[in-house]
Amino acid sequence: MTDTSAPPASAPPAPATESVVTIKRTPLFARILENYALLILTALVFLFFSFYPASSAAFPTVNNLNVILGSQAVVALIAIAALFPLICGYFDFSLGATAAMAQVLSAGFMAKSGWPIWAAILVPILIAGVVGALNGFFVTRLHMSPFVTTLGMALLLSGITLWYTGGQTIISGIDPEITRFGSMRIIGLPVVVFLVLAVAAVAWYFFTHTPYGRSLYAIGSNAASARLVGVRVDRNVWWSFIVAALIAGGAGTMQLARMGSATASAGNELLFPALAAVFLGATAITPGFFNVWGTVIGAIFVSISVSGLTLSGASGWASNVFNGIALLAAVGLSTYLGRRKRRG
Amino acid sequence: MVTSEKSTGASSPTAPLALDLRSVDKHFGGTKALRGASLAVRPGTVHALLGGNGSGKSTAIKILAGVYEADAGELAIFGESHPLTGYTSTTAAAAGLRFVHQDLGLFEDLSIEENFALDAGYPRNAVGGVRWSVLRRQVAKVLAEYELDVDPRRPVHELRPSDRTMVAIARALQGADTERLILVLDEPTASLAAHESNLLLEKVRRLADRGQTVIIVSHRLQEVLSVAHDFTVFRDGRVAGVLVDAEPTEDELISIMAGGLVVALRPTGSESHTTARPMLEVKSMSSGPLRNVSFTAHEGEILGIAGLVGSGRSSLLQAIFGAFEPVSGTMSLGGAPYAPRTVDDAMRSGVGLVPENRVREAAFMDRSVRENLSVAMLAEYWSAKWMPRGRETRKAEELIKRFGVKVAGPSALFSSMSGGNQQKVVIARWLQRDPRVLLLDEPTQGVDVMSRADIYATIRRYAQAGCTVIVASSDMSELHALCDRILVLARGRITQDVLASDLDVDGLTSLVLREPSTRKTIYEPTLEETTTS
Repeated sequence: MTDTSAPPASAPPAPATESVVTIKRTPLFARILENYALLILTALVFLFFSFYPASSAAFPTVNNLNVILGSQAVVALIAIAALFPLICGYFDFSLGATAAMAQVLSAGFMAKSGWPIWAAILVPILIAGVVGALNGFFVTRLHMSPFVTTLGMALLLSGITLWYTGGQTIISGIDPEITRFGSMRIIGLPVVVFLVLAVAAVAWYFFTHTPYGRSLYAIGSNAASARLVGVRVDRNVWWSFIVAALIAGGAGTMQLARMGSATASAGNELLFPALAAVFLGATAITPGFFNVWGTVIGAIFVSISVSGLTLSGASGWASNVFNGIALLAAVGLSTYLGRRKRRG
Repeated sequence: MVTSEKSTGASSPTAPLALDLRSVDKHFGGTKALRGASLAVRPGTVHALLGGNGSGKSTAIKILAGVYEADAGELAIFGESHPLTGYTSTTAAAAGLRFVHQDLGLFEDLSIEENFALDAGYPRNAVGGVRWSVLRRQVAKVLAEYELDVDPRRPVHELRPSDRTMVAIARALQGADTERLILVLDEPTASLAAHESNLLLEKVRRLADRGQTVIIVSHRLQEVLSVAHDFTVFRDGRVAGVLVDAEPTEDELISIMAGGLVVALRPTGSESHTTARPMLEVKSMSSGPLRNVSFTAHEGEILGIAGLVGSGRSSLLQAIFGAFEPVSGTMSLGGAPYAPRTVDDAMRSGVGLVPENRVREAAFMDRSVRENLSVAMLAEYWSAKWMPRGRETRKAEELIKRFGVKVAGPSALFSSMSGGNQQKVVIARWLQRDPRVLLLDEPTQGVDVMSRADIYATIRRYAQAGCTVIVASSDMSELHALCDRILVLARGRITQDVLASDLDVDGLTSLVLREPSTRKTIYEPTLEETTTS
């Protein structure tokens, strides 16, 4: 080997080439502020409604907090479900309808068909999983646009549930066990809150500590690159739709437990606040990226704000207006943060 | 540290300069991209702007294009001065600057004439409809001026690559007095095969002969040398050298770019480290463009795959990597049968692939360097059922150091690095797995000279340690410098199997360029065994 002229090229570049690579880093304080801005904002909103004269009487009570947390637990669960496809860059618009379907089927199986409670909970969740599998099939195998596909699925599901209930609200015949569970409390908080936190913890573990979850972020960043580092892109995206639908199905039966009744609906009143929570969540903890704890904080922020507004005397339209504004602001902010991050 | 070797005061008092950019500063956050940089272009010349990645040449071009605003500096175009504050892309166009970027910005599915019309407007008739015949005549005239013998109605994607670039150039220059225009070509040949580049550069040279002023930015020094009159070399945001009407050698330019640091891009005939033990055997593989491809790569061998665009270079690597299943043929790896159905299978068998298109197929631009590295190790890290960030960060720090990546740290975004450093990270991603076979597709495309030397050294080091490396490249000097043995692929068939030390770069180039369709396959599998061992 006559490798004579080769200098140790692996050696660090000679000091003569005065490097221009300066370390550019946001100061620690600013970073903490950015990561926890949503949490701080949530606390500020909470304090505001606690002292604002119009709401201060009813807002900061244990009962109201229970209502807020309990009723928003379902939204938070759907928000966590929506994270799965969203992280790999796909929208699932049918999650609200899937939850509504599970709620109606679960009630119907008990009231109309007299099924035992375990079957009436399990079977609707499995049916939800089938819906997710169909969505995933259309999107990954037939390469249909996820947006339109899941929108169509949502319409189809809401139509089917309407047919199933005949437009009636199912109230009687529902096993009281399930509603008892819905109003059960542990250390003063509704049990469902702990259930959501448990799901969130599992989801967090999933996204940050399993190859599956990490691969979803890789797919969302660049599917072609992900494929060439050994990620089974289609399979994983498909599964993300299935898992999302299963969680949404669970959220539906949880909604039944909270409300004790079921009406056919498109589930949008569940989906849109959930999306607001997810996109708000993308502005927190790891700004610019969808993440579990940001989503949970986002859900709490939305519910506290809506509850505060309602208790301050705002009418029914206020919550829609607020959710709409929150969704727009959240999408705008998370897009901006994401783009700024990408720019470096 | 302006090492003005052969530097002349660029501004000549007689003729006004076509473009005179002076003492430009530009910083991004804490990084100074340009520090008093200047660029003086004489009218009617081809001026090469050179520099390694991160030298500031792209920034200078973007300032000229009005993409970035300079912090300070002066600009005069054809003697007319333009303030750099408030300078936009509109100002640039009005002043006579025309840009053709590496991504040509053509509408591939539309016809040539429509590509022209979308830029310059459609000729209309009385009721506002398009006068196609007028448009066709106009475009045909422009095409003839630029020596493009093609029908204006043909869709752009049907053109050969160099003609596509010429269409983009013609479109940029159409309908104006070209003597008052400055054509800026940003990496025009980066995605072209060598002979396509030559065709293009030949045409660029003829444009200059007709009085066209051209600024060309390129990594391919040999090409630049063949076409440029003047050279400006940037280093660390400053002018490292200006050569007017000079004919420097490639090594001279490299030494200015590197700042006196002599880098051996081409060690003279390095000895093979191969143990002659077969590692990867491919037998009569057919898939996509590949036709009955058979070869053996040995342990510690650096095997090159040469061939023109479309010869099946990338397909071959992808088939070995399990990215798609070959239609027929068998492979064996280290003596055992090897039939990867997925990329995952190939990775578990100890094969890695650095794909051709870094941005599209390897990068996770919006993720950190740490995540870009760990993404290939997810299954391995999972063994602990826990993937703490600290462990990944330490591993990333170690890899950054080992592979000499210039980056702020493991948490810096992948997109924040220069192309050369990005490529080092992608290569490190695979080498951390200690692969038995490493497949490299155009390993130094869009990579500056300095990083290129680092990457070559890394590849050699790993080959020496026993890793089998297969390199597909359109850069003959790269293959010649790096490889022990080179297979020439033409239209999906292996036509030649040569030892790199047996011929020079020109010899290799002519082997690849030789029209293969009329020739019979020379390749004999038995012959190949004897030549290497």
